[in-house]
Amino acid sequence: MNNLKLAWRNLWRNRRRTLITSASIFFAVFFALFMRSLQLGSYDHMYKNAIESYTGYIQVQHKDFWEEKIVDNTFPYDRQLEQRILADANVTATIPRFESFALASNGPQTKGVMVMGVDPEKEEHLSKVTDKMVKYKLSAASIELIKQDSNLPEKIKELAPLFENSTYTTASRLQLDLGISDKDAGQWMPAIEQYSRFDNGHIEMGEPGVWVGEKLSSYLKLGIGDTIVLISQGYHATTAAGKYEIKGIVKLPLPDIDNKIVYLPLDICQGLYNAEGNLTSLALAVKDNKDRAIAGTVERIGGLVSGEKRVMEWREMNDVMVSQMDADDKGGQIMLGILYLVIAFGIFGTVLMLTAERKREFGVLVAIGMQKKKLSSVITLEMLLIGMLGLLAGVIVATILILYGVNHPLIFKGEMALMFEEYGMEPQFAFWTIDIYYISQILIVLAMVLLAIVYPLRKIFTMKVVNALRA
Amino acid sequence: MKILEIKNVHKIYNSSEVKVHAVNGVSLDFEKGEFAAIVGPSGSGKTTLLNMIGGLDTPSDGEIIVDQTNLAGLKSSALIDFRMRNIGFVFQSYNLIPVLTAKENVEFIMSLQKWNKKERDDRTFELLKAVGLEDRINSRPSKLSGGQQQRVAVARALASKPKFVLADEPTANLDSKSTETLLDIMEQLNKEEGITFIFSTHDARVVKKARRVITLEDGKVISDERKN
Ligand SMILES: Nc1ncnc2c1ncn2[C@@H]1O[C@H](COP(=O)(O)OP(=O)(O)OP(=O)(O)O)[C@@H](O)[C@H]1O
Ligand SMILES: [Mg+2]
Repeated sequence: MNNLKLAWRNLWRNRRRTLITSASIFFAVFFALFMRSLQLGSYDHMYKNAIESYTGYIQVQHKDFWEEKIVDNTFPYDRQLEQRILADANVTATIPRFESFALASNGPQTKGVMVMGVDPEKEEHLSKVTDKMVKYKLSAASIELIKQDSNLPEKIKELAPLFENSTYTTASRLQLDLGISDKDAGQWMPAIEQYSRFDNGHIEMGEPGVWVGEKLSSYLKLGIGDTIVLISQGYHATTAAGKYEIKGIVKLPLPDIDNKIVYLPLDICQGLYNAEGNLTSLALAVKDNKDRAIAGTVERIGGLVSGEKRVMEWREMNDVMVSQMDADDKGGQIMLGILYLVIAFGIFGTVLMLTAERKREFGVLVAIGMQKKKLSSVITLEMLLIGMLGLLAGVIVATILILYGVNHPLIFKGEMALMFEEYGMEPQFAFWTIDIYYISQILIVLAMVLLAIVYPLRKIFTMKVVNALRA
Repeated sequence: MKILEIKNVHKIYNSSEVKVHAVNGVSLDFEKGEFAAIVGPSGSGKTTLLNMIGGLDTPSDGEIIVDQTNLAGLKSSALIDFRMRNIGFVFQSYNLIPVLTAKENVEFIMSLQKWNKKERDDRTFELLKAVGLEDRINSRPSKLSGGQQQRVAVARALASKPKFVLADEPTANLDSKSTETLLDIMEQLNKEEGITFIFSTHDARVVKKARRVITLEDGKVISDERKN
């Protein structure tokens, strides 16, 4: 009769208790892993969105620009410096920008907006604005076309009006809203894509014209071909004002930026603010975006720029988001802590009952010749088996769901999507794949089980056989 | 041949304010092959004495020598080992490990001693046959009657060929039929195989079967009679 066999038999002498204990461990492990994956995935997603559609990982700025984002805190676009920065091994491209604020209006509608003077070609290295342009729109006209198409099923015709005026940057998102499965996509989507196609024009250096955020455009009731008026203060307190034709609509994943962004060609923007040749920032595209590589790059670029300028990394530039995520992270950890505490009590309760129940049996075993060490290893094995059962099941189920989630991010639509957007979030659940957070969760559970084992082991080693037999 | 010597053993419990002299200067010798009953009123010290003989409890004074080994000289884990090899135990009830079958219960000490499977199987079958349970070898204790459980306990106590078997009121929870069966089996093992039994009891029918009757009162031996 080896220890494992005895432990295994013991496991099933109170089947229900074993299952409840294992189930609670399963639940804790599953929930912890799933939640961590979701948290880490969504942070990563938010950061990527912020970095890739806006700040980039590293920027060179005028030293005062971050504190006071005024046109006076700009610096001349220095091509020689740009070349030296480009020579850095981790820098793949430099993206010059002129960023400021303005009042935008269309008739009676007015709104404070963020003006981004960009080189559209260079932006392709970082923010890839063209990927984020609205490509499809379910306008009243396109819905009418869908309804008239006798080849399309009724289901789609019924759904389409619910999404009137919705815009899409990808066909797959449009497909999702219309409830079309991947299987049917080949059959229905070409026609629908054709009816709802949304054509944007380009903005080019030297040519007046703007791209505006989709939310901003609907707030100001502006469409392609309409004119937007921008008013602001220029360099050295000059007046800045201009009228521009809207060439395209972009839909940025960050709703808070989408509702105020106006892209202008860089030189036109500099002209608007009477700051020809100046930049507010030179964003850098990098090869390796890991924290260590970024820190190294920041340090090297810091050595290249003169006293008037400074180098900032994405964490500083997205400080509000970073601290929000940190707070959320802490909240999540506290929740897990409470969960684990509850589970720990459950495990301890089981151990307590088990020890009390078997007091006499322990006495008999030691009386007839079982060494306390051997008895202890049987009980340890038994508790480890209970723990492992829950742990393994939790890890397996969580891993299956997490891996599925990583490959099929959960995208919300309709009302749910709006709710997310109201909180400034992209309506999507992103998952983080299997990573070191697994280890910490597994270690916590193992530590709880091992800690719980201390109690029966202590009882066994301090047990007086005569007293145990009297029980 | 003396297999057990009890020399002026005392046990004093000091737990509460009252001092209880549970065993008060007992001296006894046992020879191989005895079939001895320890009797006496409740509280006379039978259990306390048996526990000390079995090395489960330590005397406050005096010595217990089992086959030339003084139990006081053994450290706790050596004492556990000594018990396993030299002393068989049958307790009043709940003797058996509930998750093991009759066979596995009997085998238990043998596997602790790493006997090989063939030896174990042979001995287990022989013992279970001796207690009349060869047809119940694969039953768990919960599927056996109280009397059958005690018979398995006797078989287990004999597993490692101990010097003697201690049984504290082995029949206390049994009906008269089972009591008789158990006693007959013990008597037979004693007569045919020369196994030494020392048991305590309240039951007059059990006392009748004993060939030596030791009577305790207030922790002292007041009589020690041998029959035939
Ligand atoms: N752990 C203990 N602490 C204090 N006193 C004890 C302890 N164990 C036994 N006693 C006392 O020692 C005395 C002898 O008890 P013991 O159990 O040996 O008697 P017994 O002859 O076996 O009685 P019974 O026939 O009822 O089983 C009793 O007075 C009992 O109360
Ligand atoms: Mg007693």
